[in-house]
Amino acid sequence: MTITEKIVSRASGRNVAAGDFLEVLPLDHVYLNEVIAPPALIGFERDFGSTFSGLGKELRVFDSSRVTFFPDHTVPSSSEKVSEGISMMKRFSASQGIRMLKQGDGIEHTVASENGTVRPGDIVVATDSHTCTQGALGALAFGIGTKEAEYALANGELYSFTVPQTIRFDISGRPGRGVYAKDIILHILGMMGEGGCSGRIAEFGGSCVSEMDMDGRFTMCNLCVEMGARSGMVEPDGRTVEYTREAVASAGGEWSEADASRVMRSDEGASYEQVREIDAASIEPTVSLPHSPANARPVGEVDEEIDTVFIGSCANARRDDLTEVARILKGRKVHPGVNLIVIPASRRIYNWALETGIMSVLAEAGANIESSNCGPCFGKHMGVLAEGQKCLSTSNRNYRGRMGSEKAFVYLSSPATAAASAVEGRIADPRKYVGAGA
Amino acid sequence: MMLGGTAVRKFGENINTDYIISADLLQESWDADFFAKHAFEKYDQEFVGRCAGRKDNVVVAGSNFGCGSSREQAVHAIRNNGVVFVIAQSYPDIFYRNAINNGLVVAKSDTTGMREGDRIEIDTASGVARNITAGTETPLLNSPSDLRRFETRDTLEYVRGRLRERLSAKSE
Ligand code: SF4
Repeated sequence: MTITEKIVSRASGRNVAAGDFLEVLPLDHVYLNEVIAPPALIGFERDFGSTFSGLGKELRVFDSSRVTFFPDHTVPSSSEKVSEGISMMKRFSASQGIRMLKQGDGIEHTVASENGTVRPGDIVVATDSHTCTQGALGALAFGIGTKEAEYALANGELYSFTVPQTIRFDISGRPGRGVYAKDIILHILGMMGEGGCSGRIAEFGGSCVSEMDMDGRFTMCNLCVEMGARSGMVEPDGRTVEYTREAVASAGGEWSEADASRVMRSDEGASYEQVREIDAASIEPTVSLPHSPANARPVGEVDEEIDTVFIGSCANARRDDLTEVARILKGRKVHPGVNLIVIPASRRIYNWALETGIMSVLAEAGANIESSNCGPCFGKHMGVLAEGQKCLSTSNRNYRGRMGSEKAFVYLSSPATAAASAVEGRIADPRKYVGAGA
Repeated sequence: MMLGGTAVRKFGENINTDYIISADLLQESWDADFFAKHAFEKYDQEFVGRCAGRKDNVVVAGSNFGCGSSREQAVHAIRNNGVVFVIAQSYPDIFYRNAINNGLVVAKSDTTGMREGDRIEIDTASGVARNITAGTETPLLNSPSDLRRFETRDTLEYVRGRLRERLSAKSE
């Protein structure tokens, strides 16, 4: 069995295989951001209010301890309507006893793993396509829309679920200098195309992934939806367990026997729809050109001036990323023609960067550093691009119009490539800046 | 169930939900018609005008229609422009499920021979799509259970039933 089949079997109480249909899939956790929560809460009351009142009950979510609210996209709020939505979430969560984070606590997908909301073996849905990030913990996690969020709030269930097939990516070899998880996943997107993993689980394994730190695994799983994957998956190992234990403890929780029993791996000889072998040593620093994340090229083939660099989003901007960025920017200045925006992915990462001195390295280099939010990644605030602007971003989508004007150009890369490019004012090879053993 | 209409637009491959409705608008309204008014604003400025005043619009597309973000507003943006159905080679999961949950029929079929202006019909009972203008017929590739869901549009009632069961069981 694959890990995905095992997780669904555990949750549904019977052995299932890829292709099996489940009328009902029980969920362990549901989280909502402030983009979708307001319409979902309105819909929840509209669609289920009479069901509750008809039975003489108060309107309540299925289990308030298994729901979390994240105001993370457009914070600090950029408009009255955004604030109105956040206030609605506050009222609702207070009345239901749902945990709601604060503006600036961080991007949902970064925080949900960082504070132990999601644990290995869980089945989790959230109102955002990058929920697949949690696959790095060995959890089955994917995005849903507003209606399914309403349904999930009502019953803690997802309906009409077909167990997905898995495509296994066996990644061996050591990535070379200046090559990171982001380069590997952009390379894979280039190989597969935007719809190449459609409806499948992208399971990442092999020696390269075993040696990869958690931050890299999150990045890999984050971007797998850009090839259509239902979700990403990395089999949990010692590193995963250590990470989750700490995450759970940091939020005052405890890692239990039950948690340990949910750490599962795919069996030897599990049945995969496809196995793709990749040699990480052959991958170069990679950039995706406008207007598709799958439009990947080795950095050496890209010769482009840029005026904006965005280091942030749920794809990157974790500790390892900011460490690399600071390493490159230390003692250097951002190019006079470049606006560099750095947004640490969570408040914890932000505060850690302050303590470690990374923040002052970035500030001295001339970066604009903002509190944790999605902002520029989806063209909402904090650096919206105008016609003709060219931006190198560490986010996950470079669709036309994604970061502002439909006549702007967005390139995607690793944080190291982004930092090197911020210095040069053009898309640059990070290998010049990172020594051997990076 | 038979549905028919005129292909107002034929899109290519990988039309993402950002193209259907721009992300910066999502938090500015909770009204489906607002999103309909801004449909394809950054990608195809003619779309809304072409749909205007008609109730039988059909959207034709290539593969992977609706990829990217999970925003359900993309479904409202299309549906509330008088679109009777979308017909495309394939859809990614999130958009496909969002469409079904909101009563937007998303037919899967070979669309290579379909052109703007063609009259297109689908018959969910016999599982075929017909291009009346070209006189051709292609099979619908949706699963039989999804074709039935297009007809009954009953997910909400089912979920309410589950909720009633759950609430009643709890009070016993
Ligand atoms: S950082 Fe970008 S991709 Fe990630 S959740 Fe926010 S808007 Fe979505």
